[in-house]
This record gives sequence, C-alpha cells and structure tokens, in this order.
Amino acid sequence: MRDKKLETKLRLVGLQLDNWKRLHDLITYGLDKAKPIISSEQERQFTEIRGNLLQETEYILRELNIVAEVSGKAMSVLQRGVSIRGVRDLPSDEIRRLETDWNAAFTKLGLMQGQLKARRRELAEQSVFDYYWTQVRSRLFRRLASAH
Amino acid sequence: MRLRPSTLPSHRRGSSGADRPVSEPAFPASFLLHVLTPDLGVVETRVLILNADPVFEDRALAILDENPALEIQIVRNLSETVSALLGENFDGLIIEGEGALALEQATHVRQHFPSLTIACLLYGRRQNEVEAIAREQNIELLPVSRSDRRLRASLTGFVRALDSNPGTAAEGIDPCHSLIGNLNQFSAAEILQMSCLSQRSGRFTFKSGRGNSEIYLQQGAVRHAVFGSLEGEAAVAEIFRWRQGRFYFEEGIISQEQTVNRPWAHLLIDNLQKLDETLELVSV
Repeated sequence: MRDKKLETKLRLVGLQLDNWKRLHDLITYGLDKAKPIISSEQERQFTEIRGNLLQETEYILRELNIVAEVSGKAMSVLQRGVSIRGVRDLPSDEIRRLETDWNAAFTKLGLMQGQLKARRRELAEQSVFDYYWTQVRSRLFRRLASAH
Repeated sequence: MRLRPSTLPSHRRGSSGADRPVSEPAFPASFLLHVLTPDLGVVETRVLILNADPVFEDRALAILDENPALEIQIVRNLSETVSALLGENFDGLIIEGEGALALEQATHVRQHFPSLTIACLLYGRRQNEVEAIAREQNIELLPVSRSDRRLRASLTGFVRALDSNPGTAAEGIDPCHSLIGNLNQFSAAEILQMSCLSQRSGRFTFKSGRGNSEIYLQQGAVRHAVFGSLEGEAAVAEIFRWRQGRFYFEEGIISQEQTVNRPWAHLLIDNLQKLDETLELVSV
C-alpha cells in the first residue's frame, strides 16, 4: 500500500537533503586551502542552492513537523554562508559554528528520512485490505474498552 | 505494466529495452492483483523529471508518486538533466515549467539524446507554433488542465506508453554529419584516433556489407560501441578489422549506455596487437 502524504514527505525531505549536501560540498571547497580558485560558476551554484534552501526550508520543516528543532540552525547556516568567498573569510569560531549547525540540520533531516522510509516499508508489506482491517479492529477495541 | 513474482530476479529496464521480457503473459486485472497482493514485484520504469521548483509546483510529481511501478528522479536544471542522463538509464524525461522555456530545454536534450522519450507538460492553451516544434523534435506535449483527473490521465498514458515502447534507438532528428568518408582510404583505427585526440563527443556510424555499427565518443573517449549482438570492446575490436564500407560522424550525440570503460590508448594498443596477430596468422 502507498500513502500519498508519506510519499510527499519523502520527496520533500529528499530534495531538502540533496540541497544541504550540495551546499556542504561547496562550503568544503571554499574552506579547502589547497584549492585557491573559486570560479564564478561555483558562486552561481552556491547562490542558487542557497536561494532554494531559503525558499523551501521553512515550508518543508513545517510539513515534517520539525520546524522548532531545525529551523534556527538551518537559518544560522544560511545567514553565515553568504557566498563561498564569504565562508572562506569567516573567522575560525564562526566556521566551527557553521559546521555544527549544518551537521545538526543534516542529522535531523537524515533521521527523518530514515523513519519515513521505514514507515513506507511497513506499509508496502500491507495490502489495502490489511490496513483497513487493522484500523477497524483497533477502533472496535477502543470503543469496547471505553464502553467498559 | 507487468507484474512478476518477487521470487524472480527483478531487473531495471534499459533504455534500449533489450532486456525486456517479451513472451511474459500480462496478468488479467493486474491492478487488483497489485493492490491485494503486496508480495508481487513490479518491473520498474525510470523517469527523470526536470522541474525548477519541485517543492511548490508539485502537482504532476504528486500524481507520479502514486505509481509504485515508477521510479522518479528529480532534477532542477538542464545541466543536472544531462548529467543524470549520462550517468544512468532512464526510460523517459518529463519537463515541467513555463511553456517556451520547457520546450527549449526539451529541444536541447533531444539534440544529445535522440532516442530518449521526452514529454513537456504544457500549461495553458496549445499553440500551433509550439506544437509544430514539438512534432519536429519528437517531443510529446502533455496538456496540464486544472482538473487533477485529466492530468492524471495524461501522465498515466505517457508512463504506459514508456512501458510499451520498445525503445529502439532512433536516428538523430537533425544529424550533423561533420565527417563522412570511406574505409578504403582511412581505417576505423585512424579515424577514431583522430577524433579521440581532438576530444570529440558524438556518434560514429560505420556501414559495410557486414552490417551497421556505432561507436559513441565522449570527450575523446569511447563510451559505447554496438555491432549486432556485440557490445563494448568486442564491438570495437570487430570494427577495427573492417577495411571496406562507409562511415559518418554526428557531433554531439551521446549514448546513455556505457559499455566501454578503458581509455582509448589502451583499446588502440590492444586492438592493433590483435590485428597484427591476425595478420601474422594470415601470413603463416
């Protein structure tokens, strides 16, 4: 069986994680002192990913019911990381904070994705008939329990 | 869509459709079977979706998500699309976005992937000009109406067509034969050496009495080769021996399949050695 809402959540969390990974790749590149050249194309990509995240993060976190936990950290990363050059010029304590916040947001989203996938797997093992029968049975038991 | 017992090894269908089970009978009432018996595995169709704003413009995505036999991958821009198509096999591409831009993107993709099934989701009224371009480029237009039922019907129709489409490689729509010649004058090895050195990307077609064969180059490296049932290095080795026939090169046509993984220099040395050995045998 497939749950529409679950599939939508999985799609959203997948898209969000994809953007966070790309942002991390570019931040890591910016912080790598062995790579002195930052191209305008890389800066363009950074701005595009940052733009997508600024637009979508709040909405997706709300859909996933984790807005209170992650929103602050996600916004902190996006506000500190203005551009690849900007990240390179940040003081070391700011860079550490940026990495910690990125890690917190990424970890929570990754956990969420895992939970949603596990739920999808559970549902896939059930047929529509099984699912509704379980629902009806649990409702009946609840009514019986409350009657007694 | 075909249903198969999960005990059988399921496989992904390649773009060529060569590994498709042909003689399998379709089960009656397959939909009901699928709903009531979750232990049946389904052969997956893979679709790439180009959507610049997949979070907020997700009507089509939500509909496609409902299909358990469909594996979708979402990309946001053209470069990601080409990269995904080069890296993996997809049965089709759906482009969602503003009419003219979506069609332009589809036309770009078509130039590089001539055999790929492409559809554009068209918002608003159909225009004759857009339809003419789409027909010329072999791009399917899927009208997006306000009604979800209609949109679902057109998307389901497209996915079903992907499943029933044998997916034979088509000739380029606008082939640019940047090099034409005869194998009597230049051997395949010489032509390939020249093209690889100049970092070319495109398709070589060799035509001789033995049949037709194709070698796909990508930035100076052989990516895919096919001759009859032969593929990869075996096909390259066969073409190396041809001394009669014609060839032409179409710039910019890239294969989705990759059957050759070794650098050109290795292939050249190995095949010339094999050729020498063959010639030695002839002289003996």
